[in-house]
Amino acid sequence: MGKKGKYSFYVEDKALEVTERPRRFLEAFAAVLEHSNYGLPLEVYTRLSTKCSRCAASCQLYQTTGEDRDIPCHRSELLLKIFRRYFTKSGLLKARVFGGFTLTDEYLDELGEAVYRCTACRRCKSTCPMGIDHGLVTHLARWLLSEIDVVPKALLVATRVQLEGVGNTSAIPVPALKDTCEFLEEEFQDIYNRDDIKFPMDVEGAEYVFFPAVSDYLLEPDTLMGNAAVMHVTGGSWTIGTGNYDGINYGLFYSDRMMERIVKNVVAEVRRLGGKKILVGECGHATRSAWFASTFCGPDAPEVVNCLQYAWDQLRAGNIPLKEERIEERVTYHDPCNIARAGRITEEPREILNAICTDFVEMTPNRTENYCCGGGGGTVSIDEIRAFRTGLMGKRKAEQIRATGAKYLVSPCANCKKQLKEVCEDNGLDEVEVVGLHDLLLKVIDFDIGRSATDSKDAQAHAAKTEEGEGT
Amino acid sequence: MEFWLAWARGPAFLFAFSFMLLGLTRLVALTAWETARAMRRAGNKTLPYRQVLTATLKWLLPFGKLKDRLLLSLTSLTFHIAILIVPVFLAGHIALWARGLGISWPAIPNPLADVLTIVAIIMAVALVIQRAAARPTRALSRFQDYAIPLVVAVPFVSGFLAMHPLASPFSYEATLFVHVMSANLVFVLIPITKLSHMVLIPGVQLVSEVAWHWPPDAGSKVAVALGKENEPI
Ligand code: SF4
Ligand code: SF4
Repeated sequence: MGKKGKYSFYVEDKALEVTERPRRFLEAFAAVLEHSNYGLPLEVYTRLSTKCSRCAASCQLYQTTGEDRDIPCHRSELLLKIFRRYFTKSGLLKARVFGGFTLTDEYLDELGEAVYRCTACRRCKSTCPMGIDHGLVTHLARWLLSEIDVVPKALLVATRVQLEGVGNTSAIPVPALKDTCEFLEEEFQDIYNRDDIKFPMDVEGAEYVFFPAVSDYLLEPDTLMGNAAVMHVTGGSWTIGTGNYDGINYGLFYSDRMMERIVKNVVAEVRRLGGKKILVGECGHATRSAWFASTFCGPDAPEVVNCLQYAWDQLRAGNIPLKEERIEERVTYHDPCNIARAGRITEEPREILNAICTDFVEMTPNRTENYCCGGGGGTVSIDEIRAFRTGLMGKRKAEQIRATGAKYLVSPCANCKKQLKEVCEDNGLDEVEVVGLHDLLLKVIDFDIGRSATDSKDAQAHAAKTEEGEGT
Repeated sequence: MEFWLAWARGPAFLFAFSFMLLGLTRLVALTAWETARAMRRAGNKTLPYRQVLTATLKWLLPFGKLKDRLLLSLTSLTFHIAILIVPVFLAGHIALWARGLGISWPAIPNPLADVLTIVAIIMAVALVIQRAAARPTRALSRFQDYAIPLVVAVPFVSGFLAMHPLASPFSYEATLFVHVMSANLVFVLIPITKLSHMVLIPGVQLVSEVAWHWPPDAGSKVAVALGKENEPI
């Protein structure tokens, strides 16, 4: 059992027993500064930070709590202060002459608590005149803290089972994966009367190797069926690799070290199968982590395609046959920070929703300025902080959702969906149904005029089309 | 007094101004060098240039950003405009440059300079008041955050008095001495305080983007450095 001790989240015992944490933290900091590229932003931020507090108003947490410690700049200053004192010449000099700040255990505890009161959603970055990216500072601080074992147990345990145990964060063994996929294939048979829609396993040389958030196999059958249906009607060449079928990467949330290992494992699986591209399922952070493939594996790393991009390309090309009827209930869309904040995937899902729904409404603000669901940065997996997540962090989101009056709240992200379901439950939004985008797409795909994946001519024609589509 | 005034306008000014120029050059060069080095080491060498450029321009010409925090934004923007225009385009300053280095450029009319000087002073005080009045800024502020706008205001106050000796309760020489020395102080502070944002801001959006471009094996190397490469998770 984990201990809460000094933090609002559980940590493993070793986090509470260790000694000499300040020294070890600084050693880790020095190593990271030497081998990674964080020295540059820290150096610039520490000079620039003007303490104007413009960032405060943009953070969903500060808006709700109004606590000084929740001002983005205040949190980042915690790390910048350590950097300035121990890793800049003027800081070292000042300390020698005047004494002053020394890193203590208590200070590290404050930092540990603070960086998990931020979802690293990066919303505040666009409001800082000095361009300070607090998401980056939180990201780095969490890595450094993890090197002295201050890391939420939930994230640590999931990563352990992924890298050293069963091989994925939900601990789903291969036979169970196969059972699940067979079950989903039977569902296609029972509901849609189709026995040719498959979840192909270990197909060598497939164009797309599929990496959803592995939890989808437990929690989101409709999303996965939607994925399979789209691949089927478009004749896409895809496969699930039994060597690695998990797109989740908690390394993004607490350790570049872990992140590197997890991304390399994904790329290794694509290479093992002789596949061409990484197809990421409906998951924001899995997509953003996969985008780091070229960071960790160089320029020949496989291309990364999110399933929304694939679906939109195919829909636009006329390859996804739709039924006459559309979804008539009111639908709204939550932008997952990890794919939307930098403006990388914002339009595809909207185009798809506009094509399949009659009453699509936006939340405001949206796209790159969207509010985080409140469970970003891995905090959604930390069950013991649910009240904080849904009450304080997610309150703004709840208001946004309520204002739309939507029946379906679409978010193509496993993390967002879990969080949003809890936000709705805890904020009296019982009428709202939180779904993935492929769940809705599944409802309107017309299988009867859909083409068969086994028809090789069609498949080739489609493959050719897909390639054309990529340039646009 | 005359000796001291000559000293302030001569060697002291020369020192302060060169200190500023060299300091800023060093900062820009270092930052550019580090940015280039980071990209050389990065595994992914592509950058979203357009996005970086848009974000940079948005903050260099922050008119679109006025609406959030309207009062503070207006105060800050007018402050910046005034303190940039007056010292550079004051006829008296240009005459000094012409005498010293033989270069000159068009000046603004003195009455306009007067108005802008008063604006600069009022805005500096307004910035400090707003900083102290709002809870979040008060919580964040360090001593230098209050001090810097006031220090920057001193050459404007003394400059105004020097331009209007009849309105000044102090002797002309003393006023001018304070003016020159406070300006010298600002020059020295520029490269070593947050005032350096005047040269760093055009690059910071790029820096924030490059910061996410890591060397391919930074993680493994850190593991080795910490002796953790074989440690179970
Ligand atoms: S907006 Fe930027 S400079 Fe201003 S307080 Fe926030 S982080 Fe600091
Ligand atoms: S939660 Fe988001 S908006 Fe708030 S401080 Fe963290 S990154 Fe900024």
